[in-house]
Amino acid sequence: MTDPLDTTWATIQTGVDVILNDFEAGLTYEKYMALYTTIYNYCTSLKGNPSSISGSLQQKGANLMGADLYKKLKDHLKGHLISLMKEHDGNNDALLQFYTVQWEKYTRAGTYIHHVFKYLNRHWVKREIDEGHKHIYDINTLALVSWRDHLFMLIQAKIMDAVLLLIERQRNGETIEQSLIKNVVDSFVALGLDENDSTKATLDVYKLYFEQPFIAATELYYKSESETFLSDNSITDYMKKAEKRLEEEDVRVQLFLHESSKKPLISKCEAVLIKSHTLAIQDEFQQLLNQDQVEDLKRMYGLLSRVPEGLDKLRVIFETHVRRQGDAAVEKVAEAAANAASAEGGDAAAGGGEGGDEEEEKPKPKKKGKPTAPGADVAVDPKVYVEALLEVHKKYNELVMNAFRGESGFVSSLDKACKEFVNRNKVCNVGSSKSPELLAKFCDSLLRKSSKVAEDREVEEILNSIMTVFKYVEDKDVFQKFYSKMLAKRLVNSTSASDDAEASMISKLKEACGFEYTSKLQRMFTDMSLSKDLNDSFREQMEKTHEKDDVLDFSIYVLNTACWPLQASASGFNVPEDLVKTYERFQGFYQQKHSGRKLNWHFLLSKGELKANYCKASKTGYTYQLSTFQMGILLQYNTALKYSWEDLLGATGLNPETLASQMAMLAKAKVLLISDGTMGSAGSKYELNLNFKSPRVRINFNIPGKTEAKAETEETHKTIEEDRKLLIQAAIVRIMKTRKVLKNQILMTEVLNQLASRFKPKVSDIKKCIEILIDKEYIERKEGEADMFSYLA
Amino acid sequence: MVVTLQSSDSQLFKVDRTVVERSVLLKNMLEDVGDADELPIPLPNVNAAILKKVIEYCEHHKSDPLPAAEEDKDSTDPSKRRSDDIDEWDASFIKVENELLFEIILAANYLDIKALLDLGCKTVANMIKGKKAEEIREMFNIENDFTPEEEEQIRRENEWAADA
Repeated sequence: MTDPLDTTWATIQTGVDVILNDFEAGLTYEKYMALYTTIYNYCTSLKGNPSSISGSLQQKGANLMGADLYKKLKDHLKGHLISLMKEHDGNNDALLQFYTVQWEKYTRAGTYIHHVFKYLNRHWVKREIDEGHKHIYDINTLALVSWRDHLFMLIQAKIMDAVLLLIERQRNGETIEQSLIKNVVDSFVALGLDENDSTKATLDVYKLYFEQPFIAATELYYKSESETFLSDNSITDYMKKAEKRLEEEDVRVQLFLHESSKKPLISKCEAVLIKSHTLAIQDEFQQLLNQDQVEDLKRMYGLLSRVPEGLDKLRVIFETHVRRQGDAAVEKVAEAAANAASAEGGDAAAGGGEGGDEEEEKPKPKKKGKPTAPGADVAVDPKVYVEALLEVHKKYNELVMNAFRGESGFVSSLDKACKEFVNRNKVCNVGSSKSPELLAKFCDSLLRKSSKVAEDREVEEILNSIMTVFKYVEDKDVFQKFYSKMLAKRLVNSTSASDDAEASMISKLKEACGFEYTSKLQRMFTDMSLSKDLNDSFREQMEKTHEKDDVLDFSIYVLNTACWPLQASASGFNVPEDLVKTYERFQGFYQQKHSGRKLNWHFLLSKGELKANYCKASKTGYTYQLSTFQMGILLQYNTALKYSWEDLLGATGLNPETLASQMAMLAKAKVLLISDGTMGSAGSKYELNLNFKSPRVRINFNIPGKTEAKAETEETHKTIEEDRKLLIQAAIVRIMKTRKVLKNQILMTEVLNQLASRFKPKVSDIKKCIEILIDKEYIERKEGEADMFSYLA
Repeated sequence: MVVTLQSSDSQLFKVDRTVVERSVLLKNMLEDVGDADELPIPLPNVNAAILKKVIEYCEHHKSDPLPAAEEDKDSTDPSKRRSDDIDEWDASFIKVENELLFEIILAANYLDIKALLDLGCKTVANMIKGKKAEEIREMFNIENDFTPEEEEQIRRENEWAADA
C-alpha cells in the first residue's frame, strides 16, 4: 500500500521543480490548478497520516494536515540550493552575475510556490505560527530563509569582495554595471528576516554583511585619495574635489544602495574628506577672504559646515577681517579728508555737511596750509564717511548671505565686527560719539531741501541703509541729540524736503529704539501743526479788529520747551518799534487763549523781510531776507544813515558778540560800510551804503556763520555729557533703590546693562557719579566693607 | 477582460476578470501564470451549480474593497466577531438548502474568497444559536454516538452554563 503522502508529494515535487528550474516554460492554468488542488485535497483529507509535529493537537479533534508537506518542501528547497551552490564558479563579475540571476529566478519562484501552497499557508502554517512555534514560516519566507542558510551565508564574503571591487572601479572613473550591485543590495535587504514575525523585515543582514564592509572600504579609499591629492594640489582644488566626491556618494546611495546607508556613508565620507583636513582647509580661509574668492568661500563653508565645530574658527577669522576692512575704509576716508583739508586750508574743518552754503561764503584766508595730522579732529564729510561704513557692511553682508547662507554665527560675527569699526575707528578716536554725530548730519543733509537726491524711493533706500549703521551705533543718545537739533532747525526754517521722508525716518527710529526715543521728535511735528491753526485764528482775529494796513504779514511757531532742543540767545534784544505792535498783539492774543503759559521769544531763530527802497542802483528796490536781529539793526537806519558801534549796541540791546556776528554779513555784502576802525572796535562807524548793488532782487543775509555751526556742535556734545551724567545718576539711584545694598562691581555691571541701549558709559564716569550721589546723600559707603554701597531712603 | 472558468463537470463560465479576482487563488494564479493563456481554468473541486452561485456572489461584490492581504486582525478582535452583521442581499443569497450552503462554504474555502467563507460560517453559526443538541443533530443529520453515561457526564460538567 502506498503512502498517500508519497504519491501526493511526487506530484507536487514535479510542479515545484518546474517552477524552480524551468520558470520560463511556465505552468498552464491546468497544471497550476492541479498543483493547488492536490495540496488542498491533501490538507483537507481526513485519512491522511496525522502529523507528528502537531501531535498534541490530535486529541482536540481538529487536525490540520500539512506538517509533512512543509517538511518535504523544506528539504526539497535545501536540496535545490545545495546543487545550485555546486554550479557556481568564477569570481567578481561572473560571480555577481550568477548570484543576481539566480536570486531573481529563485525569489520569483518563491512567490509562485507561496501562492501554490496558499492553502497550507492559510491553515497549517498560520496555526503553527499562532501557537508560537519557532522556525515555521510562511512558504515565501521559508524560501528566503533556505536561501540565506544554504547559499548566501556560504558565499556572501566573496560576493562582497566582488561588489567592493566594482564600486572601487566606479570611484576610479570606470563605467560599471550598476544593476549588479543594485540587485545584490536588494537581496541583502530582502534577507533581513525577523525570525519572530515574518511580516516584519529587518536590515540586520544588510547592515552586517553589506554596509559595514562597504563603509570600511570607503574610508580606506578616501583616506588615501585625499592624502595623495592634498600633497600635490592646492586647498581650493581639494575642496572642489571633496565637494564632488560627496555629491557622487550621495548619488551612489540613490542609485544602488539602501537609503538607510546614506547617513553612515555620508558621515564617514565627511569625516575622512573634511574633518581630518579641517585645519588645512581653515588655514586657507584668510587667503580667500583677502582675494574675495566668493565661490571658494562658499565651497569652504559648504564643506566645513558639515563637520562639527568646523566653522568656529572661520567665524573668528571673519570677524577680525571685517573689522580690519572697516578700519581701513575709515582710515582712507580720514586721510582723504585730511589731505583735502591741508590742500584747501584749515577752514575745511567747519565745512562738513553744510552743503547748501558753499556758494555763499569763501574760505577765510587764515591758518593757510597748516597740515593736519590724519586722525586728528578733521572734518569728515558725513556722506563719505557713512557710505564708507555702508560699503564694508554691504560687501560682507552679501558674502554672509551668499557664501555662508546667512548662517547665524556669521551674521553675529559680522555684527560684532561692524559694531567695533562703527564705534571705534580712526575718525572717532576722540570718542565713539563721532559716528552718531556724522550719521545724524548725513540724515539732515538728506532730509533737507536742496538735497541732491530727489527720488523718494532713493531717499527711502538711503534712510534704510542709515538704519543699518544706526543699529551698530553704541551712543544712540548722541544721535538722538543731533538728530532732534537738526530736525528742529529743518522745521523752524521750513527746510524739510518731505514730510513723508521725515515720518518714515521717525518710524524707523521708533521701531529700532522704542516709543520713548522718538516721542519728543513726534511732539515736534504736533507743535508744527498746532502752530498752523494758531496762526490762522490769529490772522482771522486781526482782520476783524484792525485795518488792513495796520497788520504785518506775520506768522509764528509756538513750541513746547520740553520737546524742542532750542537754546535761547544769551543776548538781550530790543524789539524794533515797527514790530512791537504785532509782538504785543500776539502776546495778548495768546495769553487770552492760554492764560498762565509763558512765551519765550526766540529772536535768534526768527527772520523777516525788509523792503529796501533807498538804493540808487535799483528803481524797484531790493528785498532783504534777514534775521530779526539784523532787522533790528537795519531798521535803525530809517532815522539816521550812520551810527557808531556804541550807538548800535544801545539801540538794539544786543550783546557785542551777537551784534558783531549779525553785522558780519551785512558788512561783507557792503550793505553797511565800516569806517574808523574794524568790526566791533570802540568808536567804529557804520554807514548805510546808498550805492548798494546786487544782481538779485531778493538777497538773503540770514546765514549762520560757520564758526557758529562749529560752536553749536561742540555745545551739543557738551550737553550730551551733562545729560549722560544725569542718566547715569538716575540709573544708579534706580538700581540702589531696589537692591538697597550692592557691591561696586555689580553696581557697575547693572548700570552698564541699563544704559546699553543708549550709550556705553565710561567706568570713570560712573565712579564720578557715585561720588556725586554720596555727596548728595543718596547713597553711602557701607562701613567696614570695602566696595559696598547702601541706599539712603 | 474575460476569463473562462471550467467547473468539475466541465461546464464553461465566461466571467469578467474583476469578478474572478474576488478569489485570491484565481487572482494569484492569473498574476503568476499570466493571462496570455486563453484556455479555460479548470476548477476540479467545484461543480457547475456551486460555481454559478459563487460567481453570482462575486458579481454582486465585485466593487467591494479587497480585504488587505493576510488581514487576520478582524478575527482575533472579539468585537469584530459577530454574526448579525449580514446585509440584506447576502442574507437572501445564502438562504439555501443546507446541502448547498455547505458546498458553498467548501468552495469559498477552496477558492480563497474570505468574505463568502465568512458569510457561510456566520449563517451556520446563526442556525445553531439557541438550539438544543437534539435539534442541531436533526438539522445537520448527525448521529448521536454518545452512550447515555457519557451524555450524563457532559451534562454535569456543563451544568453551570445550562441555567444561564
